[in-house]
Amino acid sequence: MSKTLFEKIWDSHIVVDENGRSLLYVDRHLIHEVTSPQAFDGLRLNARKVRRPDLTFATMDHNVPTSDRSLPILDQTSSVQIKTLEKNCKEFGITLFDIHSPNQGIVHVIGPELGITLPGTTIVCGDSHTSTHGAFGSLAFGIGTSDVEHVLATQCIMMEKPKTFEIKIQGKRKNPHAVTAKDIILSIIRKIGTAGGTGTIIEYRGDTISELTMEQRMTICNMSIEAGARAGLIAPDEKTFQYLRGRKYTSDNYDELVNDWRENLKTDSGAKFDKSFTLSVENIAPQVSWGTNPAMTSDVTESVPFPDEYGKGNPEEVKGVTKALQYMDLKPGTPIVDIVIDRIFIGSCTNARLEDLMEAAKVVKGKKVSSKVRAMVVPGSQLVKKNAEEMGLDKIFKDAGFEWRESGCSMCLGMNPDILAAGERCASTSNRNFEGRQGTGGRTHLVSPVMAAAAAINGHFVDVRELDLK
Amino acid sequence: MKGSVIKYERDNIDTDVILPGPYLKIHDYAELAKHAMEGLDKDFHKRVKPGDFIVAGKNFGCGSSREHAPIALSYSGVKAVLALSFARIFYRNAVDGAFLLPIEIDESAYHDISDIDSLEIDISKNEIKNLTKNKVYKMKPFPELIGKIIQAGGLFNYKP
Repeated sequence: MSKTLFEKIWDSHIVVDENGRSLLYVDRHLIHEVTSPQAFDGLRLNARKVRRPDLTFATMDHNVPTSDRSLPILDQTSSVQIKTLEKNCKEFGITLFDIHSPNQGIVHVIGPELGITLPGTTIVCGDSHTSTHGAFGSLAFGIGTSDVEHVLATQCIMMEKPKTFEIKIQGKRKNPHAVTAKDIILSIIRKIGTAGGTGTIIEYRGDTISELTMEQRMTICNMSIEAGARAGLIAPDEKTFQYLRGRKYTSDNYDELVNDWRENLKTDSGAKFDKSFTLSVENIAPQVSWGTNPAMTSDVTESVPFPDEYGKGNPEEVKGVTKALQYMDLKPGTPIVDIVIDRIFIGSCTNARLEDLMEAAKVVKGKKVSSKVRAMVVPGSQLVKKNAEEMGLDKIFKDAGFEWRESGCSMCLGMNPDILAAGERCASTSNRNFEGRQGTGGRTHLVSPVMAAAAAINGHFVDVRELDLK
Repeated sequence: MKGSVIKYERDNIDTDVILPGPYLKIHDYAELAKHAMEGLDKDFHKRVKPGDFIVAGKNFGCGSSREHAPIALSYSGVKAVLALSFARIFYRNAVDGAFLLPIEIDESAYHDISDIDSLEIDISKNEIKNLTKNKVYKMKPFPELIGKIIQAGGLFNYKP
């Protein structure tokens, strides 16, 4: 029988199945300081051990400072959470990449970087952006703390089988440096909506996907959750196998594994999806979000929408957009390129890998950040930071007036001191423009690294297709 | 289960407004509760009473996987959220730790229920009685696994 890639991975991980309610085996469990403490408390309370400490990997990313790490952490509650993770990992025998480790970084950046993420595996993490790992053909779910405890104790997760959703991405972009993977995924969410993928596993397919690099594929899978999906998935290919070869945790029988993956990890021809959507990328423009969820996004050449027009007579929609524009302090009809920016954040599990920084650096090189803008680059991991520094990217950013910081989630979710002040407007390469996400009263515009860099230099958004990015 | 309604006529109420990021460092659940809904409604903490129900629009709980969101609502006294639809991680988190019931309602119930209405919910009959308006609505039955986890009183009590 023809199967989708998702069905193949799902079926091969079933421990117990009862009418589609399945206990699934978990191949890799990634944990971090924020969603794990109560789970470890639960284990202790019930005198349980970690079932597979060898398959569990920890790092600290959400609340770590991105400033000088030789200094003590001033925020006491953050410090406690970080020390608690250290203590828990020691007590339960779990590998930890701590704040001083050369492998520390955002959990979804370091998983692939270290070869912990592998095709055909199941991965869970107490973080919604776990969908990132799907770029490698891994079935990767974000889970809450109760599930984290369940996985620590049993190495299994209990789920009802999700539906399948095929998203075909096809065609050639005229300027792939200006119209990036971020613009592709924002275009998709804009069309299918923030709940368009609810309860499904999205498999991204089509000729455009094959052309994307692994890092670009990660950007796309990362934001699957912003469309409500349980996970995003891309079938592995030669680029995937090449990317993972020789990484820290890549096993000795790698070639054998690759042969198996190449043979089996794809959707069979004739396999049926529950839902399908197609995006042609020939004519898509650079995207800028103007509202308070990622679907509230426009082309950079458009204007802030009028609620009545945007809502097409749906009163709920009209009300939602009106509230969003109030929060964002934007007037309908304002050209997107006239929106003036106070802050720039290049970072997060969506867009803080080496290629993201390389692309942004092309825009920044030899220029200066606008005098009215404060701009920062927060590399996704220590390894990204090191590689970028070896290429001299840090110097390009610093010379232009950017802050060059240590790795972590940083201003994506405002848990550490990197936050927006009330009323500040930020062009951010992160994934969520929710109210208060980057700091109470802060206003977020989601964009690609190239757009963020251009906004830093100009003080407002620009059509980055007009820049020389080759 | 009886309680009164706090209604937000709004879609996409995300976990960042239900429990803003800076409070994810708090481990004391009673303390977390003080910040529930703070991103959307600064007065929620003063207004909410034990046994209350939140009524909201589509895609409630979208965003982050933080279980702190249903925990903060639960420790504020909220027994159920009635919404047109839920984001899946929130939905699951709500029942895994037996924090609150995520109940899907239809458009007519959503529009009919007003702020401070008194409701009585009977999940064995999939029924919601509006005691203020003397009406009865149907709730969408829980999917099988969710129903079983609720019945067991949380994920750790459930045996497949």
